[in-house]
Amino acid sequence: MSMQTDASLAPPPANDPALPRHRQLGLSDEQVLAALAGMQRVRNVDDRLWQLSRQGKAHFVITSAGHEAAQFGCAWAIRAGHDYSVPYYRDMALALALGQTSLDLLLHGMGKPTDPASGGRQMFGHFSSRALRIVSGSSSVGSHIVHAVGLALAFRITGEQDIAAITFFGEGATSEGAWHEGMTIAGVQQLPVVFVCENNGYAISVPAHREVPVRDVATKAAGYGMPGVIVDGTDIFAVYAAARTAMQRARSGEGPTLIECKLHRLRPHSNADDHSKYRPAAELTALAQHDPIDKLRDYAMQHGLLNVERWQAMQQQLKAEVDAATLAADQVPNPPLESLYDHLYGSAAEA
Amino acid sequence: MPERTFLEAIRSALIDEMTTDQRVFVLGQDVGVKGGVFLVTDGLYQQFGACRVIDMPIAEAGIVGAAIGAALHGLRPVAEIQFADYIQPAVDQIINEAAKLRYRSAGDWTCPIVVRAPFGSGIHGALYHSQSTEALFTSTPGLKVVIPATPYDAKGLLIAAIRDPDPVVFFEHKQLYRTMRGEVPDGCYTVPLGTAAVRRTGRQISLFTYGLMLHHSLTAAEQVADEGIDVEVVDLRTLYPLDRETILASVRNTSKALIVHEDNLTGGIGGEISALISEHAFEYLDAPVRRLASPDVPATAFNEALEAHFMLNADKIAHALRELAAY
Repeated sequence: MSMQTDASLAPPPANDPALPRHRQLGLSDEQVLAALAGMQRVRNVDDRLWQLSRQGKAHFVITSAGHEAAQFGCAWAIRAGHDYSVPYYRDMALALALGQTSLDLLLHGMGKPTDPASGGRQMFGHFSSRALRIVSGSSSVGSHIVHAVGLALAFRITGEQDIAAITFFGEGATSEGAWHEGMTIAGVQQLPVVFVCENNGYAISVPAHREVPVRDVATKAAGYGMPGVIVDGTDIFAVYAAARTAMQRARSGEGPTLIECKLHRLRPHSNADDHSKYRPAAELTALAQHDPIDKLRDYAMQHGLLNVERWQAMQQQLKAEVDAATLAADQVPNPPLESLYDHLYGSAAEA
Repeated sequence: MPERTFLEAIRSALIDEMTTDQRVFVLGQDVGVKGGVFLVTDGLYQQFGACRVIDMPIAEAGIVGAAIGAALHGLRPVAEIQFADYIQPAVDQIINEAAKLRYRSAGDWTCPIVVRAPFGSGIHGALYHSQSTEALFTSTPGLKVVIPATPYDAKGLLIAAIRDPDPVVFFEHKQLYRTMRGEVPDGCYTVPLGTAAVRRTGRQISLFTYGLMLHHSLTAAEQVADEGIDVEVVDLRTLYPLDRETILASVRNTSKALIVHEDNLTGGIGGEISALISEHAFEYLDAPVRRLASPDVPATAFNEALEAHFMLNADKIAHALRELAAY
């Protein structure tokens, strides 16, 4: 598996307005189709986890449905295994886009000892891989922002160039003290870090107008000495363009950026939530119009990258893949009970 | 061997370790040009530069969180919290993040950071410059809590903490900074974490303590020695994980135990040590385990008379020893 996901390593963009948008951004047809397949793959895993939760095999599910374009668009701008990604619980699609597999995610969702994120210790939604430089997080909202800032501080201390940290959070996290502290430090020091807000309009049930005092989260950036950018988070190309610019700014020492991706959470917050209780019926009905997978599929078909037959074949293949991964994950036995005590402290030798 | 104050010993540890290991850096409020409000980091900015001696905003969660992030990339941060009273905004970072990174990633990530904080009363610091906050952290698996009492230990334990592969909260009693002097070698050496030190051997009572209270306890032990009360004084040094073997071996030898700490009585480490002794050395005891601690009020008062009344001292400890000896 190649860890190089940075699409900006492709030939330089041709700024010819006559070209399709992905070509203008320097993205190949294959990259677009791979992203579409990846987004559908992660949606299938999402679907499967909800099923498994009803079967008692996955005890917690937190959805990324509706957020896939934002996460895949950013992943094109990240060199996995080089740049650091500091995600939050909504970032299953990001984990997959950066190199984790359906099996990895299902092992995590089923709490198996071979779960690469945590060895079955963390509930689903805590994606991690040191090899991919996806940083392990807690469930405390916003507490991870400062870790991305600390990583960026480390690059400054070691003098490393051409590397950046990128962190992800919902608009709800921007109320947290740790978010404010992290933004402050990044702004004061002009660190190589990118902040990506996946604004789906809800902190579980509390709507944005009850939790965010301004219309656009991006405007908060002004208070921290960095630019704030608003993009349509269901448009993978708009997200990529903004993320690429921000990562290049960070890597070249021009400082941090806050990107706000406006998007929609297509499902309840988690399997313990019923969003019909707090979202108007008309809003729920309209959600189908905001599915980023439909949007990218339609784009691919309009530009001749895909036809109906190929799309159906792709879906069948992905369905078979998630079935096989589910079977494989389900067969992994529980860990030995003594393993509860493993990894509490390190040994002096590793220091 | 050169003599140094407690404060100079800590500074010496930082300088020697930063010279030896390029991964080590310090960050905190006022640690740079000013050299810290107690001057612990005085001169480091000039010696190591702004990149490794980093003045931070007043943002405790940000300071500790940034240290965590830097540690994830392989650096060895030493974060300073200006007073232990202000460590509370960083508690989420210390307990939920640093202490759990190794465990929650099944060993994939580690978090070798040190968080230093001056604690304790006796400098007219009143409610918010005097607190003992160690008990916030002494029930957190994944974390180590270290409190030195001598200049030699302050340097050796701090270097050991920096080199430790896991997060360490390192409390320094601010009254010791300038009042306590002792022999402290030049160059790097370590004092192992997790081991207590028997500072005075005795046969009748085991006294367990740490930090400033060690010195008051040793004075008290001398006071009662003339009366025929023979006290063993154990400096705990690491409060979590506790050196259970040394504690139990001592009390099995003496058959009586007194725990002395400046932290509040309720919820202080004394309760844990008392339970440990009750569970594992009950049949050796000739008296109930006794605790002497600060009263259960928020912290010392600004008023001088109330401050003196709040504080433990050698006379109060000697009184407790006499009572326990007479039991």
